Amino acid sequence: MPRFLHTADWQIGRQYASFAPDDAVALAEARISVIERIAGLATEETVDAVLVAGDVFDAQTVSDRTIRRLFNAMAAYTGPWILISGNHDAALAESVWTRAQRLEAVPANAHLALTPEVMEFGDAGFAILPAPLTQRHTMSDLTEWFDHAETTDGLLRIGLAHGSVQGILAEDENATNPISPERYQSAALDFLALGDWHGTKQINPHTWYSGTPEQDRFRGNDPGNVLLVDIPEVGTEPQVEILPIGRHPWIQMSEHLAVSSDLDQLIGNIETQPEQAVVALRLEGEISLLGKQQLERALSVAEARFRSLGYDLSGLSLQPTEDDIAALHADGYVGDVITEFRDQQEGEGGEVARDAMAILASMLLEKQAQGGDG
Amino acid sequence: MKLLRLKAEQLRQFRAPVEIKDLEPGINLFTGPNESGKSTLVRAIRAAFFERHKSSSVEDLQPWGDSAAVPTVELDFEWEEQSWKLVKSFLKKKRCDLTVDGAPYSGDDAEEKLSSLLGYEFAAKGASKQQHWGIPGLLWVEQGAGQEIQAPVEHAGQHLKAALGGNLGEVTSSTGDELINQVTAERAKLLTTTGKPTGNYAKAIADVEALQDQFDALQDRIQQYRQQVDRLGQLREEQSQAETERLWETYRQQAKEAEARLNEVESWQREQDRDQQAFKGCQTSIQTTLELLSGFHSQQQDLARREDEKKAAEQQQADLEARKPASEAALEEAKQAHEAARKALKLAQQHQQRKELVRELEGIDAELVNDKSKLARAKALHASLLENRQKQQSQQIDPQTILRLKEVVSALDRLAIQQDAVATRLQFDLTDDHSVTLDGQSLAGQSEHLLIEPGEVAIKGVGSLRVLPGGEDVAEIARAKQSLTDEQESLLTRLRVTSLAEAEERLKQLQTLEQAIQQDESVLKELAPEGLEALSDQLQLKQARKDALAPQIQALPEQEEDSPSPSRAEAQQESAAEALAGAQAANQTLKSELLLAEQALNRARQEWERLSNELQAPDRKQREKQAGEQLAELRTNERRLSDQLAEREAQIKQANPDALKQDVQRLTKSADAAEKQEESRRFELIQLQARLESAGAEGLEEQSAELKVELDRATRRKRELERHANALDFLLARLTEHRLELTRQLQAPLQKHLNHYLQLLFPEASLNVDENLIPEVLVRQGHGGEERGQFNELSFGAREQMALISRLAYADLLQEANKPTLIILDDALVHSDAERLKAMKRVLYDAAQRHQILLFTCHPDNWRDLGVVARDVDGLM
Repeated sequence: MPRFLHTADWQIGRQYASFAPDDAVALAEARISVIERIAGLATEETVDAVLVAGDVFDAQTVSDRTIRRLFNAMAAYTGPWILISGNHDAALAESVWTRAQRLEAVPANAHLALTPEVMEFGDAGFAILPAPLTQRHTMSDLTEWFDHAETTDGLLRIGLAHGSVQGILAEDENATNPISPERYQSAALDFLALGDWHGTKQINPHTWYSGTPEQDRFRGNDPGNVLLVDIPEVGTEPQVEILPIGRHPWIQMSEHLAVSSDLDQLIGNIETQPEQAVVALRLEGEISLLGKQQLERALSVAEARFRSLGYDLSGLSLQPTEDDIAALHADGYVGDVITEFRDQQEGEGGEVARDAMAILASMLLEKQAQGGDG
Repeated sequence: MKLLRLKAEQLRQFRAPVEIKDLEPGINLFTGPNESGKSTLVRAIRAAFFERHKSSSVEDLQPWGDSAAVPTVELDFEWEEQSWKLVKSFLKKKRCDLTVDGAPYSGDDAEEKLSSLLGYEFAAKGASKQQHWGIPGLLWVEQGAGQEIQAPVEHAGQHLKAALGGNLGEVTSSTGDELINQVTAERAKLLTTTGKPTGNYAKAIADVEALQDQFDALQDRIQQYRQQVDRLGQLREEQSQAETERLWETYRQQAKEAEARLNEVESWQREQDRDQQAFKGCQTSIQTTLELLSGFHSQQQDLARREDEKKAAEQQQADLEARKPASEAALEEAKQAHEAARKALKLAQQHQQRKELVRELEGIDAELVNDKSKLARAKALHASLLENRQKQQSQQIDPQTILRLKEVVSALDRLAIQQDAVATRLQFDLTDDHSVTLDGQSLAGQSEHLLIEPGEVAIKGVGSLRVLPGGEDVAEIARAKQSLTDEQESLLTRLRVTSLAEAEERLKQLQTLEQAIQQDESVLKELAPEGLEALSDQLQLKQARKDALAPQIQALPEQEEDSPSPSRAEAQQESAAEALAGAQAANQTLKSELLLAEQALNRARQEWERLSNELQAPDRKQREKQAGEQLAELRTNERRLSDQLAEREAQIKQANPDALKQDVQRLTKSADAAEKQEESRRFELIQLQARLESAGAEGLEEQSAELKVELDRATRRKRELERHANALDFLLARLTEHRLELTRQLQAPLQKHLNHYLQLLFPEASLNVDENLIPEVLVRQGHGGEERGQFNELSFGAREQMALISRLAYADLLQEANKPTLIILDDALVHSDAERLKAMKRVLYDAAQRHQILLFTCHPDNWRDLGVVARDVDGLM
């Protein structure tokens, strides 16, 4: 009974510009290391092939080194890898695939299905019907030829395609690369392995999106998995097991702070997030000086725990309490200035007032500290 | 605060106690000359308040040389209806006792009380200095320190602030000032004073820009790469299509077919040409044959012509021949005429020559006659000359000698006269003629004798008388006379004459002779300039010539009557010569014409003969006939060929070879083009492939993504710094704004008081104070409008005035805040002119309504109109 690993959307070469450089590097690295894990898993589960449904590379002109690294990462599994081209890495006249071939980086067990032709693996008992993308923009259903494609009797017919199933997916940004949801039927496919949707999703028992093995954006639609597919016999329903393999969950948090207990809750929340997560925190509301100190401390701790922590505090206004002001010993006109800033944080020019307030508060606190020592 | 009584003892010059009582609430004027103790009194008051009683730095208080003294000061004053009494002594006995309405304080407590009342500090150790004097430092003006206002205000600062009330807050809140400094420093790291980015902020902006540029550049290249990839795909497609179609093969095939057809047509063309040639040849042959035939015909005509020609030539020759003798004859005639003329000419010439010779002969004859006479005369002259010269020679006489003779003679005459005059005269009248002798000479009669030398007169019978003529002169004269006579003798001898007259006569003769000689000589010269010989020779020559001429003349013929003149003869000869030449020429011409005519005749004859012979040839007829037959044949050929040509022409036209040619060209070119396109496409593909390979290797998109990471990071950093800079800017602005506001609140009342006094000095003037309440700018209404002057740039006197006014304003402020204000002025306003001083007095008077003022001066005259009685310090001691 043939067994496969189904994966897609590796997006090798993607860079994360909005992160700090260290984090960006690590996240880019993570995309390669997950391949290694997939290879390990494939060997472990003794699969007959690994199906990669497109968007292997994030761009055509990734560096030579990146190309080699990818194929190196696949080394741990020596069985067949079948890869098709997606929209990011379309098989154009000149593409990352032709480059890879020129570099002789493609190992023998890596089958590049760059033309819509049946690929038979008779010994293993299956045939692959690939629908690779060969243009920058494709408007037609590239899986159409499946319907008339002939394969040797007795071989499983496995479709491998990259696109958006019509009528099912909510996003219509991909008006390109449509795929008929009935394809498995009309083409008598035992399994249609799809790519392009980054979350694991079942369309029907024979048609699945594996999703990207390493999450690459904040939208939560169940990424970070590979599918272990067992197909008992020709014509039977495949048994699909979802195996998590990603390392870095991406978590978005948005909170509103009004009272100090909100802050405590937030800090607690943060602490519960898993390590190595990629966290984006957005806060708004009000916070006292003391609260701000607490928050800063908590964020500093969290930063070390997470793979990456980004926070947006632009919606948070600094409202020093009477005690705060007293503690600052801001007498005379300095105190007036603080009051002025405090009131000015809402509305136009609020940001600069907030920042000025923060600077003033920190300077006064520093003086306090010095005064205490001196 | 009102000072009531002051007493000083053992203080400098006041060894004995000196007391001042009944001090007025307003102005108290103390006058006195220098060294009278005014300043000592001021020192006493200052010491009483400023110096700690325990201080050991107050030795200046001691009277000179008295180290055992105990300088003591007593002060009574009133404050808020309390009566304060202070007694302080220093050095040898340190003491400080204060009672406030009876309540006692002493030592340090007392001093604390005083300092907090008036607002000053004590020195931690040593003497009290300016920085300790606080408010009194501002109000108690020392000598020569009147114009200084900034330092006293600064030192009084804290106390002023403390005194002026808490609800005004801190003007220079030390926290506030430090903060402002800190914020300014922080801001300066990111923004320039004008608000432009600098430092890290500027760098961040630049970084973003640079990265953005790089990123954009990469994007362009990526775009280009994509376009090239698309082109690659396109080209591949085109290529595969072309491979399938293989258009060039089609074209080549078509071209081939067209070419084959064309070749066919061309072969027709060639045949056509050949036939055309043949046709042409045929026509030419026809032509030739026709010509031949006509040639035959014309030959006949020719012969006739030739005959005519021959005849004409014969005639010609004959004519010329006929003319020959005449020409000869003419020539002969001309020759003869010419000869005759020549002869005539020669004769005429000879005549001429004879004539000339005759003339010459006659001439020579004449000359000879002349010459002969000349020669004769010359000879005569020569002879006479010779004679005369001889005479001259013999009669030579020296005129100089004669002259001398003349002189001598006249001298002698003179001497004689002299002698006569000088000589002793012996005059006698004798009756007896024989008895008297003079020098042996008898004397008789009546006469006189001149005696120029001693003479002896002998009288017979009597004896002798020796007469000695006296005188030197006589002797002299006698001597002279003698010498001259001698000379005369010699001269005469030399001249060989006997007398002067003779000599002169001889001379005259000689002169005449000389004249004659000269005359003769000149005439001779005329006659025979080169001498007699020459003249003689010339004569000889001429004679010889004459002799020669005679036979010559004989030889020449004589002229006849009608023989022509040489010129006419010449003319005749010339014309004869011309005629001769003409005749010769004519003859010559005739000869040559004749020659030509003979030649022509020969030719004509030859031609005629030849032609005649030809026409006689036997086979001529034959050939003529042949030619006729040939002609007919040729005509037939011609027709045939013509038809053939026309037929083929039509054929060829139909086939349209031009079009075929174009087709071949077009199709061949098309095939070439198609192949070329294929080639260039292949080439482009290769190039493109190579370019894409190398570009791909660059990993542009990966680079771009990495760059984006950096760009975003740089942008975030820029944004952070931007926010930080803006916040600092804003913060600084707000802090300074607030501080300024606060200052203004303090400035206002001070300003008010200042201007109040200033009006008394400068109407409509104002003195602006800065944020530290120190006078800064004086604004006046001058001649040309508003005048602004910096305080520090005012004159010494003006500064004194402004400073004093400021102090008074401070005093007013303090008073409003219920603080004590005692004003002490030690020799103030020394640099003010009379005008200003007047105004200042009004100011002081006004201030004195509110404050007690102690005014010390050594110029009592200046202060008489203050409205107070001056106290003489001098009189205190």
